Amino acid sequence: MTPPPAASVADMIRPVPAVADSDVNRDILAVMDRPTMPYWLLLGFLVVFVHSAGAVWVYQVYKGLGIAGYAHPIFWGVYIVTFVFWVGIAHAGTLISAILYLFRSKWRNAINRSAAAMTIFAVLTAAQFLGIHVGRIWKSYFILPYPNQRGLWVNFKSPLVWDTFAISTYGTISALFLFVGLIPDFAIARDRSTGWRKVLYTALALGWEGKSKQWKAWNRTVLHLSGLCTPLVLSVHSVVSWDFAMSIVPTWHATIFAPYFVAGAIFSGFAMVLTMMIPVRRIYGLEAYITDYHFDNMAKFILLTSLIVGYSYLMEFFIAWYSGNEFEQTAWWYRVFGPYWISTWTMLICNTVIPQVFWFKRARVHVPTVFAVSIFVNIGMWFERYVIIVIGLSHEYNPAVWGIYTPQPAELMILAGSFGFFAMFFVIFIKLFPVIAVAEMKELAIHKKSHAHEGAH
Amino acid sequence: MPLLLGVFETPNKVVEVVGRLRSRGYQDLDVFSPAPFPEVEDALIDKPSRVRLWTLIGGLAGVTTGFAMTIWMSYDWKIVVGGKALASIPPYVIIGFELTILFGGLLTLVGLAVHAGLPHGRFGKNDVGYSARFSAEDFGLTVRCKERDVAEVDALLRAFSAKEVSLVEP
Repeated sequence: MTPPPAASVADMIRPVPAVADSDVNRDILAVMDRPTMPYWLLLGFLVVFVHSAGAVWVYQVYKGLGIAGYAHPIFWGVYIVTFVFWVGIAHAGTLISAILYLFRSKWRNAINRSAAAMTIFAVLTAAQFLGIHVGRIWKSYFILPYPNQRGLWVNFKSPLVWDTFAISTYGTISALFLFVGLIPDFAIARDRSTGWRKVLYTALALGWEGKSKQWKAWNRTVLHLSGLCTPLVLSVHSVVSWDFAMSIVPTWHATIFAPYFVAGAIFSGFAMVLTMMIPVRRIYGLEAYITDYHFDNMAKFILLTSLIVGYSYLMEFFIAWYSGNEFEQTAWWYRVFGPYWISTWTMLICNTVIPQVFWFKRARVHVPTVFAVSIFVNIGMWFERYVIIVIGLSHEYNPAVWGIYTPQPAELMILAGSFGFFAMFFVIFIKLFPVIAVAEMKELAIHKKSHAHEGAH
Repeated sequence: MPLLLGVFETPNKVVEVVGRLRSRGYQDLDVFSPAPFPEVEDALIDKPSRVRLWTLIGGLAGVTTGFAMTIWMSYDWKIVVGGKALASIPPYVIIGFELTILFGGLLTLVGLAVHAGLPHGRFGKNDVGYSARFSAEDFGLTVRCKERDVAEVDALLRAFSAKEVSLVEP
């Protein structure tokens, strides 16, 4: 059936049903309304920016990894740092959509959609860095166990192979989780759109009508996916941490790495959700849905994970001192007072000192403060990975393999491009899909209405 | 047989009227609900969803595949490290675990499709009685009954505070 013509994108979403529409539908779908000129300018800028970084990457493929700062003894640099950073960012989405679902924390409803979308975009961004890092991108598939004429398989004892399985499973399951959550919302958008949007949402809604058997199966599906995602989210960054911890490099070979990385991932992920959602909330007037209560809770999570991360830092230093092992002690001394001291102190201050402001409720609900802290945490967590990876490699046991690494312009451009890539997807997402889970918010609204009715009787 | 549609504002009323209708012998009922309300779903469907079976089958298939693949490949292409077993189970637990989750998740999605009946209906066509108000905040209860029972069902729906009752299919 040909959909009726629409004069503009706004006309496609605006038709009002015969019966008064729900406020929740109207407010949240309004975000998908006609893109304004500033929106197009921002999107255009991001597209150009990402392509510029892409051009640098093409140049790197042509010239070789020499244009990155890789030099003996450091062959893991900004690209691996950025890979770990983005995998970490992904974690808050799953924590909010899966773990908080299992805990029946209803406050998650306002932020779970955007956080889950960020998970996908962050995993996509991270995955690219593996390809960028290996240099010969066309050989990336060597990491997969595929039948080949040489009759050989991958080495399943390698953490890099574990990582491939962990990240691809994480990306797939997160995308699936996001899609399942979106099905009822696609139906809501379908019922209120015309033109190409109607066709798109009709296809994506799969004929959803909110029938009992549909909700029953949906509820069970969300529950099971949450159950599957909970150990998954804890395992993914553990596996990433084992990329380092399985080696014998001083400062890497530590059993604390898995929980330390997971806490750091949640810490940085929550910060990124705040960094992205605070402007969206302001621009699209979603103050009624994302409230002080949400900021308060998220800030508490940031404070908690900051304390875990801070404890891990202290414990690493303590164990180095307590071990009485000269190599271990020298490596840790070098981390704080060596040539990379700026990175280390940036990490320590941003991740452990600044978030302490969240002990005070006034700071937790003061949006500019929350936004500023979230930016500091993002910076601090990128530096944390830089400190772990680069300083560890630059000062191993043997003085013959000591060296200094300096990030090169190509790496910094690609790093900056990754932020553009992530932001570009998010900016497209908010105009195509409901940025807040409409059906789940409505569940809360209807419960509230029911209680009011009962009270009235 | 005629199909009646009652429109309700709150899930509690739907639960009550569904209970009454079922006790009166009306079994061909369905509800269009704007959001997930387990109490409404449980009022209509007694058994828990069988999606869980799909998750279980997927998980078992995943863990089996994970271990079988890693162990078989270790013996097919031998990486001999002096004195060590060719197949080393502890690292393979990670692959087994990841595939448990992957297959479990994928089959859960298949379970959703099977048990929710998705994709549903013809492209762009909704079931009789469905309208955009049921993706707003109203609940729609459809009852299929014999012609002689229409008056009774209509009265019952109204008795439980239906905002509107209409005969959507004569």
